[in-house]
Amino acid sequence: MIKPIDDFVSLFGTSISLDESLIVKKKDKYFLLSQRLKKLASKDFFYAGTYLGKVKNGTFYPGFELLRMMAEKKANRVVVNKKTEWLFICGRDVFNRGIVKVIGTRKEGDHALVLNRYGECLGFGRIVSNMDSEQDRVVIRNISDIGDFLRRETRTH
Amino acid sequence: MSNKEFFTDRYRKMGWKYHTVKLKKTIRINTANVNKPSDLIKRLQKQRLMLTKVPFLKNGYWVEESRFSAGATTAYLTGLYSIQEAAAQIPATLFTEPNGKTVLDACAAPGGKTTQLADLMHNTGAIVALDINRQRLTALSNQLERCQIKNTIVYELDARRASQLETSYARILLDMPCSGNFATDTNWFKRRTIKDVQRNAALQREILTETVKMLEDDGEIIYSTCSLEPEENELNIDWAIKNLNMRVEEISCYGQKGLTKVFGKHLDSSVQSCIRIWPGQTQGFFMCKLIKSEPA
Repeated sequence: MIKPIDDFVSLFGTSISLDESLIVKKKDKYFLLSQRLKKLASKDFFYAGTYLGKVKNGTFYPGFELLRMMAEKKANRVVVNKKTEWLFICGRDVFNRGIVKVIGTRKEGDHALVLNRYGECLGFGRIVSNMDSEQDRVVIRNISDIGDFLRRETRTH
Repeated sequence: MSNKEFFTDRYRKMGWKYHTVKLKKTIRINTANVNKPSDLIKRLQKQRLMLTKVPFLKNGYWVEESRFSAGATTAYLTGLYSIQEAAAQIPATLFTEPNGKTVLDACAAPGGKTTQLADLMHNTGAIVALDINRQRLTALSNQLERCQIKNTIVYELDARRASQLETSYARILLDMPCSGNFATDTNWFKRRTIKDVQRNAALQREILTETVKMLEDDGEIIYSTCSLEPEENELNIDWAIKNLNMRVEEISCYGQKGLTKVFGKHLDSSVQSCIRIWPGQTQGFFMCKLIKSEPA
């Protein structure tokens, strides 16, 4: 049942261990429950425990808590500066000059988490060009960022 | 007599003179996600979000000055703090030791108090959060995800049908749907009539009646509204004492004693243990703790 999650996590050169008996799939969404919540989740719930992500048209879209869990593991990541942090949250791509540290892969086509200087996970993207290249080039294409919470608020008001 | 005159005259009869208020935005630190609150305060101040501690709240801060919305920071988006009006931060703190317990949040959306409860419980135990509005449930789910809450399960369910879940609760938060107050709604006097107040009061009694059935014998209910109208507050609590075998437990927090004489009607003396907040430093609010009476 958690193959989409495992496959997604492996894109970042890591793996995470989740108790499969506590993962509940509701329609296209995956939730990780505690033992306590599992007992209460006998009826049709709307949301529960930790939202891991959803599968839509064959693609897995992770929840931000899953990205946080991955950030605690050895997932590929880049740490960005203050200016790039906010631009990324606003949905922009990452330029080479905004990166202060790379941990893990630098290979084009791989995925990487994007963290700020406090180690907080801001989202993730795909490496689209060589990070050793010139500074004024987009190196990470934004796929998902926490600015989505603001965009969702706008949509629900 | 205009609507405004009608309501402000009622307030005068309850001992409060109407005046306009200007509320400050308030944030609440999500302590489960923040190791050292003072570091977060410094971080926000560096971004020119100037904060002062709310004296009657443990984790609440007023935003004194800001060049941007308090909701537009990385710290907010990563769940280090929430935006929650000062008085609205009080009810969830009134429970005795909610850690590890099964808690019902019967009218949960948009989730400010749910995330606060989860934070106070350090993500232990379980919160069952209900609401009937699907759009508001989506907002609630977003709040839970943003604040990294792990102990909450959300149902699209009317609180008046809460017993369908066949669960009993040690703690129940009834932050009731209510008429609100003028401090947070500039058009309040134009929009509200006494009929709205009476309709909400009846709905609140239905929710109370349903949820009392699911309260464990030694359990606690926190009842709260952001209404100033006694029909939704003291009169409903007096009714619960007389009809649901409940009693009011003393609580200690910011605010004034509940009214025991309302428009000539004398209420049970224990209603004074409720807390009423007139608008000023905060919006208007009412809250109390209900527990089951000993069998006669």
